[in-house]
Amino acid sequence: MSYFADSLLAAFNIIGSFDADIYRIVLTSVSISITATLCAALLAIPAGVSMALNSFTGKTAIQHLLNTLMSMPTVVIGLLLYGLFSRLGPLGHLGLLYTPTAVIIAEAILIFPIMMNLTITAVNSADPRLVPTLISLGARSYSLILYVIQATRFAILAALVTGFGRAIGEVGAAMMLGGNIQGFTRTMTTSIALETSKGEFELGLALGLLLLMIAFSLNFALSWLNKA
Amino acid sequence: MKPAYELYDIKLEQQHKTILNISQLTIDSGKSVALLGENGAGKTSLINLLAFTTQTSRGSIHLFGQKIQSKLNKQQRRRIGLVHQQPYLLPGTVADNIGLALRLQGVAHSDISNLTQQALKQVNLVALADQSANTLSGGELKRVAIARAIAYQPDILLLDEPFSHLDQRHIQQLEQSINHFAQQTGKTVIFSTHDRLQALALANTTINLVAGKISAAPLLNLYHGKFKQHFFDTGKIVIHVTSELTNAQHLAVDPKEIIVSPKPLKSSMRNSFPGRLSVISEEGHAIRLAIECGERFHVIISPEALASLKLSLGDTVWLSFKSTAVTIF
Repeated sequence: MSYFADSLLAAFNIIGSFDADIYRIVLTSVSISITATLCAALLAIPAGVSMALNSFTGKTAIQHLLNTLMSMPTVVIGLLLYGLFSRLGPLGHLGLLYTPTAVIIAEAILIFPIMMNLTITAVNSADPRLVPTLISLGARSYSLILYVIQATRFAILAALVTGFGRAIGEVGAAMMLGGNIQGFTRTMTTSIALETSKGEFELGLALGLLLLMIAFSLNFALSWLNKA
Repeated sequence: MKPAYELYDIKLEQQHKTILNISQLTIDSGKSVALLGENGAGKTSLINLLAFTTQTSRGSIHLFGQKIQSKLNKQQRRRIGLVHQQPYLLPGTVADNIGLALRLQGVAHSDISNLTQQALKQVNLVALADQSANTLSGGELKRVAIARAIAYQPDILLLDEPFSHLDQRHIQQLEQSINHFAQQTGKTVIFSTHDRLQALALANTTINLVAGKISAAPLLNLYHGKFKQHFFDTGKIVIHVTSELTNAQHLAVDPKEIIVSPKPLKSSMRNSFPGRLSVISEEGHAIRLAIECGERFHVIISPEALASLKLSLGDTVWLSFKSTAVTIF
């Protein structure tokens, strides 16, 4: 018990010391996750809204696929992308392996189905009069998608926050594709895994606490958005 | 002037059920038209069809003489304003909602403020321009929805059950707003209602809808049932008819063709029923009686006839009508 309490105290001291290395790791994590979230959102939100608005053959199949992809293990995505980006892989010439870009791609792929599914749910649970009203006022195709996004923005923002939360807590793909390179691709999660394996429990715990603080802030934002 | 709408051979089906079946319908422009019918008669479907927010399974619709293929172009879309039965206002102020409609119709940014004020003036709600849409009362909400639909100055205003769930004060305000639009030259107003009196008060013409079909018969005494060899069984009474329409499911009796008497009449009329007089009311210059004889019958008589019959509520009276006063369809 004393070991855990001592480690916790040390972890708080590390956080309070504003160590540049620690905050570089946090910054790398946050910037990779934000970029991945924005990239995924650019595709997932319009795709989710247009899928919710239209009926077409194969819609149910796509929804089943999205549900399956939502629970896809991150190491599998890491493994597949590793195969693509490794020197002998089909995209090896791009030199993306062990770069933040590779991690961003992996995280964007990981959170895309989550964000698209949540966007579909956001539109489907909006007031059923919203779409007929917009159509009757003259909204068509792009303008319809745009105004539906605007009207359901809080629910869609919640999808964005959920996606970011998933991205920042991801470890498997970040480790496999980023390589945990200090000051370059080392994220909070990969660093926690490394520090713990090295026996640096306090440092791992400090990063874990920072990750928890981010998760707590996100959940707080999410519940505020849900209320709105 | 070309008719606002011409509908030919329209069939609308939803989930293998025929919602509308109209062989021909012309709606003249510059008129106020009421769509009358019971719940489920197809009024909302017809309004949506006229707004081109629903596609037909069969048939063609002409808008101001132009056949509409599948979608309206920008100019055609701007000629129609639609107000749903339960209008939805988007988050924001009243002015935001009207501004949105104007933007979607491609109105120049510089004209939006002016047109918004103009529309609110027409529905007498200028004071509410900056009020949040979710704080409006039911009547205000409907009038804002009308302002939103007329802001871009359409030629046709379609209203689906505009007076439902409103108190008398709000109904009067809404009637004023609709009349204000209808009085402008060349504007067409089409509204659905199940209130016959309201339809007669507001509209130049009425279109009667029964189970998705246009009916020429007045809908005051409308019954549903089965036809069997010159008799129509409503389940409560059996009415003699002369028609041979074996698949008829609806029957209507002209309220002006029913004779009311204190005792059974000795005449050739094939339909004669005793009943209890439950309502005596004034309708325009005539008197409307409601008589319960298994089914409720409405009868229109003159004030002089009422005076000579010396009727009181609760009296047992006889009502008689010829088979030719009956329309089955």
